[in-house]
Amino acid sequence: MEKSFASRYITMRREKFRHGLEQAKKNKGCYLFLAPYAILFITFFILPITTSIIYSFTYYNILEPARFIGLQNYINLILQDEVFLTAVKNTFVIAVITGPVGYILSFLFAWFINELPKWLRAIAVVVFYAPSIAGAAFTVFSIIFRGDAYGWFNSILMEFGLIEAPRLWLTDPNYMMSILVFVILWMSMGTGFLSFVAGFQGIDRSMYEAGYVDGVRNRWQELYHITLPSMKPMLLFGAVMSITNAFNVSDVPRLLCGYPSTDYAARTVVTHLFDYGFSRFEMGYASAIATILFVVMILCKKAISALLGRVGA
Amino acid sequence: MSENKLRSNGTLKRIDGKKFRGYLEADEQGAAFYQKGKAEPLVQWHYARLHRMDNIRLGGTSTQVTVILKDDSRYILELDQGLKLYSFMDSHWADKPVTPKTRGDELRRLAELRGEKIQSPKKHLVTRRHPNRSIAGDIGIYLMLILVGIMMVFPLVFLVGSSLKPLDELFRFPPPVWPQHPTTDNFSDLFVTMGQSWIPFSRYLINTVLITAVGTFGHLVIASMAAFVLAKYEFPGGRLFFNIVTTCLMFSGYVTGIPNYLIMSRLGMIDTYWALILPAFAAPIGLFLMKQFMEGLPTALIEAATIDGAGRLRIFWSIVMPNVKPAWLTMIIFSVQSLWNTSAATVIYSEAKKTLVYALQQIQAGGIARTGQVAAANVIIVSVPILIFIFSQSRILETMASSGIKD
Repeated sequence: MEKSFASRYITMRREKFRHGLEQAKKNKGCYLFLAPYAILFITFFILPITTSIIYSFTYYNILEPARFIGLQNYINLILQDEVFLTAVKNTFVIAVITGPVGYILSFLFAWFINELPKWLRAIAVVVFYAPSIAGAAFTVFSIIFRGDAYGWFNSILMEFGLIEAPRLWLTDPNYMMSILVFVILWMSMGTGFLSFVAGFQGIDRSMYEAGYVDGVRNRWQELYHITLPSMKPMLLFGAVMSITNAFNVSDVPRLLCGYPSTDYAARTVVTHLFDYGFSRFEMGYASAIATILFVVMILCKKAISALLGRVGA
Repeated sequence: MSENKLRSNGTLKRIDGKKFRGYLEADEQGAAFYQKGKAEPLVQWHYARLHRMDNIRLGGTSTQVTVILKDDSRYILELDQGLKLYSFMDSHWADKPVTPKTRGDELRRLAELRGEKIQSPKKHLVTRRHPNRSIAGDIGIYLMLILVGIMMVFPLVFLVGSSLKPLDELFRFPPPVWPQHPTTDNFSDLFVTMGQSWIPFSRYLINTVLITAVGTFGHLVIASMAAFVLAKYEFPGGRLFFNIVTTCLMFSGYVTGIPNYLIMSRLGMIDTYWALILPAFAAPIGLFLMKQFMEGLPTALIEAATIDGAGRLRIFWSIVMPNVKPAWLTMIIFSVQSLWNTSAATVIYSEAKKTLVYALQQIQAGGIARTGQVAAANVIIVSVPILIFIFSQSRILETMASSGIKD
């Protein structure tokens, strides 16, 4: 009995495989269409990720051939590299604050904007999206938070008598992180935000009417019972974008707080990776950092999609 | 035609993207769309020919509804009096198929289940356009939007202000947000400074424009081709490939930067434009958005063309691509945004090949005396993506509506 079951299973698999092969033959042209993109994608995305993982188990400095050293890189990272631990702490703080807060703010403001009349909505979308599209514009914060009395923030605080002498917002380790979090939040209404705005516009009106019949009485109930469930795909997309932004922070600390920053107080995992990869050419070590980052990001995405599965249920 | 006629101004969009201005007229038997100033209707349908109406979207002033006839022709209507007219058309719809997709039916069934006797339930329901809104809440939302909106634009305004400040105002206490005597000195100084360096400013600009243009164009063609087969054909490996691309949305150029550098040096691309252009061709976000958008195209369109004997390339080039223009624009803006802002410090060494952003970072390194010039250069760089976005916003939002990740 058991044997026949097993053999049936094998025939089934074989049939499935044959069917797949037939499908592939029938759609040969599809592979041709996919090929240019696939080749480039594999070369510049898949291959780097796999080499990263492989090199993470080696000592490699470009000049000498890579030497297998097992988990030594990871052990050094966690046990010996104090700067890495600072970087992890900073990245963690930034990710935990700006990730969820940026995500929720993006969603809330997309929702608020959706209530506006059409012409106002168009303006509001530009206003909220501009900071993230403006790329290097955040460097203006180096003028706003400048450490002398000509810095706008210092002068305002001094005017109101809140501080007596100008503070070094961008070079004093005590303030750096708060400023960074602020700037990153300022830039957090990105692609995910756009997706939310579009998602709100795409929701079928009649669902709200049906909800009204069913006893939905205020905008919060409407949000939870109708809007959120029908926007799940956008919510997941937005989450992926938030994870990307939260974990890949490197330009903002590098350009605002300097590289390296005072006492490494603004170091993040990615700037640490940069330091080892491009300044010290310890490619194996840098690869180990990158691998840890990949794993953490993938786990985050998994957790969020599990969480979103429960929304509105 | 009977007395019971409803009429609304609006536009009609055909599947090929052509737009017509005019008005829609509906009564018990059918509806017709008239172009402005013409006596003959442009399109006319009896309700018996109607397959379904859906995709109702409520704008601030107009309603959008897609009408699909049984011969699979479809029209997107944007109507000023849309909701009223829609419910009117809906209530007179003969031989209505009862499917969950037939909008309006759910409502009627709900009412029937409760034993309510509602002659025209929708009319009763939609008289209040915002049934679940309180005035206090609205005021709160406006206040929040204004406050946070000011916080969002303030740094940008400050940036523009700084670029227009004369030197004495840049170092005045307290520093003004907007200059009292605006000047364009910083911009001309910028060109002078850059002109004195042995690489002229125009060279950086040309580099960036070149990289952006080539990278974006190639990305558009290559990623659209891949998106087309992924969206419209079932073949082994296709779904897996797309899932991998979706995961890679998370990995920015920084994390993959180091192995990428190694691969490029193997390929001999270090210090060439290709090091920036080729990876941009394969940007996952473009493929992702394009594929999601193409999934919304009616499969019947492609099947019909296949029966007519059109090859895959013909279908792609002359049927699919013209129909996904909004997605083009979106791809273009994301690609331009990332390429335009690229500093490329790690893969390009020759001064003559460096980009605008890199040049900007060099001026910035010049210290505090260059504050005004840095602001001016920043304004130049920042204005390009923002302007593109302003002019293509509605198309981009149309694309983003299909951006969701289905688990």
